[in-house]
Amino acid sequence: MNLDLSELSLLAPIFRELFKGYHISRREPELYTQLSNLQDAYRALFRALGFELVCDTRGFYYLVPEQMGAQVNKTAQRLALFTFILVEHLADQGRDPLAVLDGGSLGRDELPALLDKYRDLFVQAEVISQEELEEKVMRRLTQLGFAAEESGIYRFLPPMHRFLDVCLAVQQDRDLAAALHSDLPLPAPVLTDDDDAGAAVPDVSPDEAFDEDAALARAIAEEQELQA
Amino acid sequence: MIDPKRVLRALAEHWSLLEPLCERFDAGTLSLIELRTQLMAQLPEGTPTDVTALLDQWIRLDILVPVAKSPNRFELNAQIHDFLAYLRREHRLGLCLEIEAYLRHLERLAGHIQEAFEIRDGNDLARQLRLLDMRVRDVLKKLANDEQALVGVADRAKTSDRQIPLRQRYAEVLATWDEYVEPMIQLVAADGAFEQGVRRVEQVLLKLLGEQQRLGQLVDDDLLLRTHARILEMQTTAQLTLRRARELLLPLREEARRHNAVTRGAALALSAIRKRGLDAVPQASLPLFTRPQSTFLGTASQVESYVYALARFEPKPARFPKASGVRTGNAPRAPRTVREMVERCEQALPLPDLMTWLLEQEPDGATDELLYWFSRLSRDARFQRERLERREYLTREHRVSLSSFALVGQVNAQA
Repeated sequence: MNLDLSELSLLAPIFRELFKGYHISRREPELYTQLSNLQDAYRALFRALGFELVCDTRGFYYLVPEQMGAQVNKTAQRLALFTFILVEHLADQGRDPLAVLDGGSLGRDELPALLDKYRDLFVQAEVISQEELEEKVMRRLTQLGFAAEESGIYRFLPPMHRFLDVCLAVQQDRDLAAALHSDLPLPAPVLTDDDDAGAAVPDVSPDEAFDEDAALARAIAEEQELQA
Repeated sequence: MIDPKRVLRALAEHWSLLEPLCERFDAGTLSLIELRTQLMAQLPEGTPTDVTALLDQWIRLDILVPVAKSPNRFELNAQIHDFLAYLRREHRLGLCLEIEAYLRHLERLAGHIQEAFEIRDGNDLARQLRLLDMRVRDVLKKLANDEQALVGVADRAKTSDRQIPLRQRYAEVLATWDEYVEPMIQLVAADGAFEQGVRRVEQVLLKLLGEQQRLGQLVDDDLLLRTHARILEMQTTAQLTLRRARELLLPLREEARRHNAVTRGAALALSAIRKRGLDAVPQASLPLFTRPQSTFLGTASQVESYVYALARFEPKPARFPKASGVRTGNAPRAPRTVREMVERCEQALPLPDLMTWLLEQEPDGATDELLYWFSRLSRDARFQRERLERREYLTREHRVSLSSFALVGQVNAQA
């Protein structure tokens, strides 16, 4: 593919923003328009540099470094936790979390109550005070293009869908659901070491596992074999 | 008598096997065959003999106990089960009646305390105060347990399958509300049994403190003050537990809570984080994004080389020198400090050519290091400099072409 660099007139600001981890949405109309008009060219250029430009149809662009590996940083965990908490809080109030997180807004004055109610969870993400909540969560959200702050009101931008997707992914995670509902079948234990993951799955079919007579007979036979 | 250390050691060693079993035991008892199957599934490399030995050890340590009248069925020892439930944050909701019974007992103890003081029996008074203190701790423990259990009730309702009818999904919530929260509201109300009981005990303790000052000490004031503080803590905790119960369950009970795939996912994730920490959320589903950079790498080639290095990064095992080992070769030279270099430069002033001087000083220096010193020293505000013609210099490894400087003197000296 031939690239005409003169066409990519906003390459420098676009790359600078994306490289910082910023998500470009319609809030930056110039950058967004150029990206959507020259999507293929930008994508090819960034791929050559080792970055994957993701064009989300819900209206935002961001970079995923190819060599990042599976390492999830603390910020991602912290922001995901904040999203979960906010969804839960809004749902409990009878408000529609989607309406707020997809283009809606949250007042800064709502933060203290949120921190108070979910203190035990925020502590896990090393967020203890209102200042830390603003510094480690809200400021990061705005720095990365997930939200914009204006006179004490945080407006959530389309990139928030990345976190809403996490909610949906977790919702579909059968293992996690099963582990939390003891009446559901237990997930097969999976070892953290990838090499051994296959070995952790029991070599017994489900029917056999619950057939007590067969299991007893098998245990006796194995015992006898060992003693022989 | 079973050695407690052996029980704790067995629990720690076999935690990965016991934890999944706990969930099974939460639902009821297990037959020997079920236990063996479960353990064999978790110990793919274990032999039947290993499993037998393991079960035998648990039975000997009283971790597993046979169910009455069914010797082939087992359950966890109730004490151990409670302890494990506490560790796993899987609590069973107690009865509001239990708290009421505890309160009645507290009131009775307060009566005994008063009697012991009236007959000036110091020993009995101290004993009754200790009993009161321990009973208050029991109430606190129970309130903490109930609060966790309520979180569990709410979590189950929020995360259960969204397809089932609302009534069915919230059945446990409705039952919990009727059997626990409603009676708790009455109990903790201003004119309820809880407040009255607490007030009565508090009055006895405060009167005792005053009387001790008047009639002389029978017990240490500290003991009285500590017990009094704990009673107030119990009162606050009860109110907080109730508030939390209402916060958690009211939206569910009123069916005001929004329920959809997103809210269910968030509730599932929070529940997992509460029990197993922040890493419980599957890492694969978390979004990855580049770290916000504080300083930006300016040119494309720098970015390219950065990405190139990242792409070809191979971790090298770090080999630390052994304390006992003998070093071969010359001892490595400590890097020069800026202060050291500036001082040397000052002493050598005036310098007709800084780069030549550097090459004389560090004939074996690496090129990048020499260029660093060149840049550092030529820009140092202490020196007055004059630009020279561009020429070539030979370092140990490279030929570099640059316009050097003559450092003619010190700025201060000129002033």
